[in-house]
Amino acid sequence: MNRTILSLLAITTLSWLGGCSNLGQVNAWDKGNLAKPMMTFEGDPLDQRFVQHIYGSKENSSGGYGVGGGGCGCN
Amino acid sequence: MNKPHLNRPQTATGVLLASLVLPGLAALAAITPLRAAAENAPEKTTIALKYGSYSDSQPGWDRVKATAPQVYVQAPIAGEWSIEASGVVDNVSGASPRWHTQHTQLSGASQMSDERKAGDVKVTRYLARAAVSASVAYSEEHDYISRALGLDARWSSDDNNRTWTMGYGTSSDRIDTTYSGGSVIDQHKRTHEFMGGVTQVLTPTDIAQLNFTRSIGEGYYNDPYKTLDQRPNQRDAWIALARWNHYLAQFDASVRSSYRYYSDTFGVQSHTAGVEWVQPAGRWTFTPGARYYSQSAANFYLDPILDAQGQYDQAAVFARAFSRIGSNQSTDQRLAAFGAVTLSMKVSYAFTPDTVVDVKYEVYHQTADLHLGSAGSPNLDPFNANFMQIGLTHRF
Repeated sequence: MNRTILSLLAITTLSWLGGCSNLGQVNAWDKGNLAKPMMTFEGDPLDQRFVQHIYGSKENSSGGYGVGGGGCGCN
Repeated sequence: MNKPHLNRPQTATGVLLASLVLPGLAALAAITPLRAAAENAPEKTTIALKYGSYSDSQPGWDRVKATAPQVYVQAPIAGEWSIEASGVVDNVSGASPRWHTQHTQLSGASQMSDERKAGDVKVTRYLARAAVSASVAYSEEHDYISRALGLDARWSSDDNNRTWTMGYGTSSDRIDTTYSGGSVIDQHKRTHEFMGGVTQVLTPTDIAQLNFTRSIGEGYYNDPYKTLDQRPNQRDAWIALARWNHYLAQFDASVRSSYRYYSDTFGVQSHTAGVEWVQPAGRWTFTPGARYYSQSAANFYLDPILDAQGQYDQAAVFARAFSRIGSNQSTDQRLAAFGAVTLSMKVSYAFTPDTVVDVKYEVYHQTADLHLGSAGSPNLDPFNANFMQIGLTHRF
């Protein structure tokens, strides 16, 4: 049931964002602060790799931040 | 190649695409000047080094220590391509828990030592308003080998306020414990991941991201070192990730927040929330952070059994396990219901715009009492860990 709800939520949200052309109309000259390194989502990826590897070995949940990484015997 | 967009302000597009890339390219995004839009191949070669150390403990004794040196190199090729490579060597030593993690002194923990070597290579082709990447990864331990492949594409809208991404990843793992005296021979696990997402500039000070990931896995999920550990051979997961970064002009700082929802066919649902404050101060940058995590128990997780004196009743646990042979069951604490909190502080210093060093320290506390909304699984000992990282990034 939860998976069905999440599937519908994913499809609906992505479709909604795709069709919502007026959302976030910000001019290029207003984006200076968004371009600062502190505003990146990933932060320091080597840092995140190390930390996410630890979390993946101590908690059940992992993933969601990207695809293409391999597994390990730690979990 | 003709790139008509090059004369337009592109920094926000750089932010957008940088936030979406997969782990290998993400390294590029974080350490490359953001004046270079992500559609463009990097102009400089980047080398990053990171040394991580980890130790954990439970009441009365230290359990596992680990070190993990990492290296990352990224170089431009012919102006429209880039290649990245990274490697890590994990060294882990300490006690290997059996049965429930707590009371392991009673349940026969053994000493173990292991080394994991892992590396990946990624190639990216940059187009006018998009980028396409392919990556391979390899990880090897004495009892576990993993091979992975990743493909992703991302493209931005005409006004550069929105970027879409799609990704596919697959991994093929082999588990074999005969080298270390175990009885698990040539078992396999294969996973497919599909990801779609969108990143949106909301205001001149806000940018948000929403990603959905579907993971489909099949194969050997048992813990090969836990006797009678029996788990389903199928594990599918849904993961939703929402992130929001807000710039605070009065402090010249940013607040980075995230929330992840996870649900899988083991019956585990989890919530992960994180927040960081990034505060530059001249050549210094200070980043305090906090993370909260809570998960429900897998539907085949079995609680510890205590005797009349409140001590771990190993005989009763064994008896229950034997009575359930043929059914899924696990006493792995990582499948229990619990919560966890991490507090972190990172300090970085820029000797020059191209040379930065950083230090990060984190304290992790996991306990059933932190489970969201109600008490978690009964009779779990608290689990504590400390992580520290030291890094150097240089471009030339």
